[in-house]
Amino acid sequence: MILAPVDYTRPGSVAEAIEALNSVPDARPLAGGQSLLNVLKMRAAPVDLLVDISRLDELRALEIDEDGNLIVGAGITYAELAEADILAEDPWGIAEVAANTVDPQVRHRGTVGGNVCHADPINNFPPLMVALGATMHIVGPDGSRSVPAEEFFEGFFTTAVGDGELLHHVTIPPPAPGSGVGYVDVEIAEAVARAVAVVRVEDDQIADARLVIGCLPVPARRPDIERALIGAPLVADAVATATEGAAEGLEPLTDADATAEYRKAIIPVVAKRAVLAAGKGGHDG
Amino acid sequence: MTAPTRVETRTWTGQSYPRKEDRRLLTGRGRYVDDRGMIRQGYAHFVRSPYAHARIVSIDTSKAEAMDGVHCTLVGEEVKAQTEPLFQIAPEPGGRMQEYLMAVDKVRYQGEPVAVVLAESREIARDAADLVDVHYEPLPAVVDALAAQEPGAPILHDEVGTNVSWQGTYEYGDIDWAIEEADHVVKIDRLHFHRFSSTPIECFGVVVNWDPGTDTVEVISNNQMPLFGAMVIGPSMGVGIDRFDFTSQDIGGGFGIKINLYKQTGVLALLSKKAGRPVKWVETRTEHHLDGGHGNERWFVDIEVPVMADGTILGVKARAVDDAGAYLHYEPLGAVIWTQVLPGCYRMRHFQIDYSQSLTNKCPTVPNRGYSRMQHLWMLERIVDVVAHELGFDPVEIRKLNYVQPDDYPYETPNGCVYDSGNLPLSLDKALALIDYPTWRERQREAVGSGKRIGIGIGSTLDSGTNNFGQAQIVNKDLPFSGNGEAAICKLDLYGEVSVTIGTTPQGQSHETTAAQVVADILGVTPADVDVVPGFDQARNAYVGFSGTYASQFAVTGINAVIGAAEKLRAEMIELAAFALGAGQDEIELTGGNAQVIGDPERAIPFIGLANMVYTNNAILPTELAERITLNCRHTYVAPFDPPDVERKFGNLTLTYASQIHAAVVEIDEETGKVEILDYAAVDDCGNRINPQIVEGQVHGATAHGIAAALREELRYDQDGQLLNANFLYYHAPSAAEMPHIKTDHVESPSPFTGTGAKGMGEGGGGPLHTVCAAIQDALGSEEPIVADSFNPPERVFRLLRGEGLGEARGVEVVTKGAS
Amino acid sequence: MDRSDVQDVEFTLNGETIAATVPARRLLIHFLRDDLGFTGPKIGCDTGHCGACTVRYNGRTIKSCMMLAVQVDGATVETIESLADDGELNPLQQAFHEHHALQCGYCTAGMVMSATYLLERNPDPTAEEIREGLRGNLCRCTGYVNIVEAIAAAAGKETTQ
Repeated sequence: MILAPVDYTRPGSVAEAIEALNSVPDARPLAGGQSLLNVLKMRAAPVDLLVDISRLDELRALEIDEDGNLIVGAGITYAELAEADILAEDPWGIAEVAANTVDPQVRHRGTVGGNVCHADPINNFPPLMVALGATMHIVGPDGSRSVPAEEFFEGFFTTAVGDGELLHHVTIPPPAPGSGVGYVDVEIAEAVARAVAVVRVEDDQIADARLVIGCLPVPARRPDIERALIGAPLVADAVATATEGAAEGLEPLTDADATAEYRKAIIPVVAKRAVLAAGKGGHDG
Repeated sequence: MTAPTRVETRTWTGQSYPRKEDRRLLTGRGRYVDDRGMIRQGYAHFVRSPYAHARIVSIDTSKAEAMDGVHCTLVGEEVKAQTEPLFQIAPEPGGRMQEYLMAVDKVRYQGEPVAVVLAESREIARDAADLVDVHYEPLPAVVDALAAQEPGAPILHDEVGTNVSWQGTYEYGDIDWAIEEADHVVKIDRLHFHRFSSTPIECFGVVVNWDPGTDTVEVISNNQMPLFGAMVIGPSMGVGIDRFDFTSQDIGGGFGIKINLYKQTGVLALLSKKAGRPVKWVETRTEHHLDGGHGNERWFVDIEVPVMADGTILGVKARAVDDAGAYLHYEPLGAVIWTQVLPGCYRMRHFQIDYSQSLTNKCPTVPNRGYSRMQHLWMLERIVDVVAHELGFDPVEIRKLNYVQPDDYPYETPNGCVYDSGNLPLSLDKALALIDYPTWRERQREAVGSGKRIGIGIGSTLDSGTNNFGQAQIVNKDLPFSGNGEAAICKLDLYGEVSVTIGTTPQGQSHETTAAQVVADILGVTPADVDVVPGFDQARNAYVGFSGTYASQFAVTGINAVIGAAEKLRAEMIELAAFALGAGQDEIELTGGNAQVIGDPERAIPFIGLANMVYTNNAILPTELAERITLNCRHTYVAPFDPPDVERKFGNLTLTYASQIHAAVVEIDEETGKVEILDYAAVDDCGNRINPQIVEGQVHGATAHGIAAALREELRYDQDGQLLNANFLYYHAPSAAEMPHIKTDHVESPSPFTGTGAKGMGEGGGGPLHTVCAAIQDALGSEEPIVADSFNPPERVFRLLRGEGLGEARGVEVVTKGAS
Repeated sequence: MDRSDVQDVEFTLNGETIAATVPARRLLIHFLRDDLGFTGPKIGCDTGHCGACTVRYNGRTIKSCMMLAVQVDGATVETIESLADDGELNPLQQAFHEHHALQCGYCTAGMVMSATYLLERNPDPTAEEIREGLRGNLCRCTGYVNIVEAIAAAAGKETTQ
């Protein structure tokens, strides 16, 4: 509960923030703090310097560009996403996911950047980013670079953002016209299984599908299942058959809430439900 | 002096009077322990064992002491040198346990304190604690209560020599005859009641000063039974009870858990003595989950239930194994407490329960809301439910058939307890009406094949209150404890103000309000005129050894103490007024803040006038009056008990029996095992309710605790004794968004034993655990295993739906006699 | 770059301007309670789940155990103590009182802050919306039934539970 001794700085720009993050080992960016504060309270990792980026406007872009891409700054909070006027129509399903994240207090501080960079398997944005084909834009001492979401998540609490770098913003392309996003959880207090699907239906048949399994150290895209879904009628039996193998090769966790065995057993269930929800144009199963 | 008469006026008693506590609590002006402190206080932080079982090889505090801002440290060897081992409730062999206030040469559960650091600030204390160097030699741990009794299991306490802290057989009627006689014997392999806690939002806290000038130990804490704590640590520390001053004002929830902070209090007092300054300590949530105290986990195995053809259940034969954790504390009192409700709500007469308790390398248990009775009542309700399920009886009809009937009260149970009053069939009907039972049965049929199963369950439970502490002698015949009681003072202050103090330590039970209501009726004033002094102060409040707020007894013990004190005061006031007004005592009434001649408001004297005569103007009184009347009246309510028959394990162990009948509708997602509650109703009967809104609030709270425990809360250790749910990250206390609405109704069956007709209530009896299990059971078919565990998260239900139960096969077997 | 283990902060707390020097590692809840004497917000956990520490930061509800004291610089903070003026309960607090929406009172400061925010954003909430709005505040005493009723009553409606 009591933090270890730590230094603090509040840079006035992203450039200054990068400099601060590279000034010492064990420097960490502090944005919303809704994950980092717990790490600090538990003294779970050594942190020498907190670099407060929570007020940097450069990280707070929120717009749809002329090509229809949604640009979300890493510093945008869940609440800002959930309330954004530009997301009154939300083909990405992102505002609704943001609106249902944890609780109101967390939504007022926690950021998109924090959610994807902390990369806790239960975090809700990583599988959504992969399903939507997002691109993650990273800045560091050597400039900026872009990483597709599918390559961004590397493992437990590990992403492509290196020490001394920052996630700057995320670009999410517009889903194909007629697509729906399905986002389905099974949860006790936190999710034990999650699937995100982006599906386009033509004449009651699945024409395009992207399927990502969450609650894993690395969100798992399932191209084999996606191929099986193409041409399937959007009915429960057919989708269930296609998603039967959705857990194959995956290694979910065993923890206090559920065993890996159980999680593997219900991954096909959430996958099926996400596809059906997406196909019906809704966001939640 | 005329004996006090029971006052009949009930202007305030029985009303939902809004609470007097609320103003300060709603405006952030409550005073909980962490809101308070003492001048010059240091801040303490405990060093705790990371191991479930280990020898302490060495402790080096020198680096910690060298840190700037550290006052001093204290380790177990120092504690041992200054104190005696703690008093144990258990007889031999459990009673041989050498337990000190802090671990000495061994640690026995993860999180057990081994040292404490005192420093200028919270931060320095926390940092310095990391510098205390402890060398452990890990030992094998045992975390399963059944395994702990097997030969070869690691022994926790060498001087005890076994992990069985208590064993006894409770035998009444003739179970062998009943099994022989029965048309069916339903055999249940095993049932398991899980470990969880009520987790009050406020954790333990202590501010303590061992004053060197007076050798008194002043304690500000949130202990809900401080005198019990004093009676344990006082003899250990060589401090007389009169030299303690335990105080508290506001306590953020207790639920029984806050009985268990006396060891920490003792250590911190010794630390204060060593440091020569006050000590402040507040634990974190993680520390609380590791070290605060857990509810009892209990196994029931080899259960045999004789049942007649018409569904009459004759009794139960079973073996019960309770898991006490690493130390006994309030145990093994739990070994007898459950017998208060031996037959539960039912007229069963034949029992053989072989009860034993194991020590395991887990946090010690503490009387968590529903203590020891909830576990037994859950088993009984599972039995009734499974019998109905297996033999094809309607779950409503089989309960009504076997319930204690309204005409049976007062009902003596097979072990001599007396159920005072109740109407279980009516309570059940009301619960079923609240959920519109017939409509849910229809919807259940319609849901078949939809992928979601609907289940409807009933839970019958008792909330026994005001226990006879003499039952402790059944556990250990040498214990000098019996009866029960509570003390209160009701006085007029110098200007006639009505002031009340009670030996209780409420943590949300609204004593300031309910006590004011009853006093208002007796003294003819309004509750706003009655100052029930907030909080407990040992130097100011009346108290007895049983004092505190726990075990569903305040409405009887506390309220009757207050009534007795107020009636004594009333009698004195009337006597004084009679003298002052030149009237007979039977002509005087107390009304509107005055003592007046009945029907003659001109002849009246206000309370300030009465106080004046005694406190500041006593020369005008006749000597006999002046020497006898104090306007400061203390009363101890003594519950009407006899010591029990220890040999037969027989006697009246509890004064009152509130009941709760619950009904729930669940929807089970067949594909995931997730259980949603679609409808929930609780009907309570606690006799005459002093404040209906407050009673209902207790029912809501107990029900919420039970629902959460049934579906989402478990304190589980891995095989190395590491707690997997050591804070709210993994211990899923629910928010409002995760809880259903709770419908309530009530029945009022006055108790003939309490004077007021009220019964204690509050713990609730764990109703939702019984109810949710029954609802899940109702959704399972005859091929699926029985619901044998009190905890049913999605994975467990998922496995039940796929044929995987707790033990062998379905977990139940029915043996039916030839035609009879 | 300016780094330090202490920072000066200046901010508005319950309408008053406060200037202080705080250690970088101090949580906002500890700063409010221990240093500034506002003991209304409480500590009930160590992982940011219970919400007993809920205060308003630039108008939004936050858990003050999940923010550092240094981060209040330039901000406006309100605790439970900012609500009742001259000791009188405001309508929401009065509704809590009338509907017995508190027992031990420990969660109450945070609960009332969240309920206040909820009603400002949604003056006509359904029971479900009320419950969702309280997802970040745990209570172990009331079972939430009366809390939901109190908030509905403060919104001027019969409970829809």
